Amino acid sequence: MELTVVIPSFGLVALLQACLTQLEVSIANARLDRFAIIVTDNGSGIPYSDEQFHCDHLRIVRTDRRVSFSRACNLGAAAQPADHYLFLNNDILLHPRALDDMMHLIAEPNVGICGARLVYPDETIQHCGIRMTSDDRAARHEFHGRASRGVSRTVRSFQAVTGAALLIRGDLFMRLGGFDEVYPFGYEDTDLCLRARLTGCTITCSQAIDSIHFESTSNKDPLRHTASRKVFMHRWAGRFSVDDRDET
Amino acid sequence: MTAPMSFSLIVHTRNSAETLPRLLETTAWIEERIVVDMGSIDSTIALAEEAGCRIETIEPSDQVDAVRNRCLQFANHEWLLVLDSDEYLSSDAQTEIGRLVNDNGRAFDAFAIPRFNTIAGQLMRGGQWYPDRQIRLFRKGSVAWQPGHHQAVEVKTGMDRLMSLSPPDCLHIHHANYASVADFVERQVKYALTDSYSDDFDFHCDLKRAYQEFESRFDVEADGDLSTALAIVMSWDKVIRGVLHWEKTGRAGPLETAFTLPIVVDMPETEELVELRERIAAIQASTSWRMTAPLRWVSTAIRSLRANGNALADDHGGAGRRRNDDE
Repeated sequence: MELTVVIPSFGLVALLQACLTQLEVSIANARLDRFAIIVTDNGSGIPYSDEQFHCDHLRIVRTDRRVSFSRACNLGAAAQPADHYLFLNNDILLHPRALDDMMHLIAEPNVGICGARLVYPDETIQHCGIRMTSDDRAARHEFHGRASRGVSRTVRSFQAVTGAALLIRGDLFMRLGGFDEVYPFGYEDTDLCLRARLTGCTITCSQAIDSIHFESTSNKDPLRHTASRKVFMHRWAGRFSVDDRDET
Repeated sequence: MTAPMSFSLIVHTRNSAETLPRLLETTAWIEERIVVDMGSIDSTIALAEEAGCRIETIEPSDQVDAVRNRCLQFANHEWLLVLDSDEYLSSDAQTEIGRLVNDNGRAFDAFAIPRFNTIAGQLMRGGQWYPDRQIRLFRKGSVAWQPGHHQAVEVKTGMDRLMSLSPPDCLHIHHANYASVADFVERQVKYALTDSYSDDFDFHCDLKRAYQEFESRFDVEADGDLSTALAIVMSWDKVIRGVLHWEKTGRAGPLETAFTLPIVVDMPETEELVELRERIAAIQASTSWRMTAPLRWVSTAIRSLRANGNALADDHGGAGRRRNDDE
């Protein structure tokens, strides 16, 4: 299997259908023949069924109780081992050429993880890479909220990228033991990336293509990252480099 | 730290090759899996053996619930999980079942687990189809099934030892059992033909259950037109069972209350009939009509009218006369 796409999802059937439709186009444009799409139905009140979605390669993995993002991702990945995993949020509409660009970037020697450039529907940046900070947040999305047209499209390296659309080599993911399930919500992606960098690999992000990310459609709690942030700081404080650039 | 729990799974099969793989896939974590087969001629046994299950064979029986009691002895572990061959579990079931028993196994002997039912390709949300709790996880020796189909399971150690799980955020059984409405009708008829019936017959009770069944199954808001279709089938199932019950008890009981069924009775239009229709309409408009308490009165009134109608037909050659001719 060349690629397994894992989409943790809770409810929001219509949005998930739109996500899957865009994903299939992006996969076709990346010229991938052997791939699987795993949706982890993360305790939706009404379980998903195959018939709801018009998607040939879809397989649904159901949990009856809502589990953490990490757990949902790991369950999905375990369902179909592959050379690469793409972890994708259900509120992302991948650009038709986004996956092709990401697959080219991760094919470079030493690249272990590749993120996606994501914009809100108004074309402002949601994510184009994560910078580590010295404040109590520890990490921020570079150029967050700026108009995408004004942000460089030069491919650059990062210490971390968002797990909302994260492509990782399969052997690296297995070696790392997947996402650490100690994180309730948030920071599991940054933790995964920092652990990946300890193995010597590079982390990059696609910049050529903008995909749409509505962001936090399933969890709008402003304090949703608090518990995970405590775990992250306890584990990583003083153990990562603070990126020097700060455009804020 | 709590020691890991061991479980026994018991599944009854009979030509279950189509649905069994999903059950086997989602229960692979269970230490002891016992497939009790009732004369399968398809690949059921081969599938179960390949998955590492222990096979026990028993004589085929339409009374599966009663047979379950005998088969519980096959299990070696303290905690038992009983599933039908067309049921399956979610990917977090091992974690959830382990947690349930570890956290509550001292205070409770049995757990009533909500069940998702998919009928004719649609997951049902209302009309008693959900949460449809099933007592399927229990301590060995604490539970007994009753004769018949889909009867209440007895918790022998007392109902205060039964823990009922509250959806949505909890363990569920997943049940995808009827491929179509036709399949649903076929199975209901089969259940009706093979069920146990008491020696007491009262067709009035069957009709009362029919109306109650329609009332409780009808939930268009939750399940759309399929809810109506299944409510009709389930309602008429009660009527059919009543007729079968009547035959099994020697055709002794009266069936006049059949006149309360929503069937057009061909009678001459009289003042009494008009008055009767108005009274039925009044009963239906009230909150009590579904309890069917007035149905005996309606039955009596229709019989009386029919007799009068026949008398009228004798004079005028009406519909009542033709009915008698047919007889």
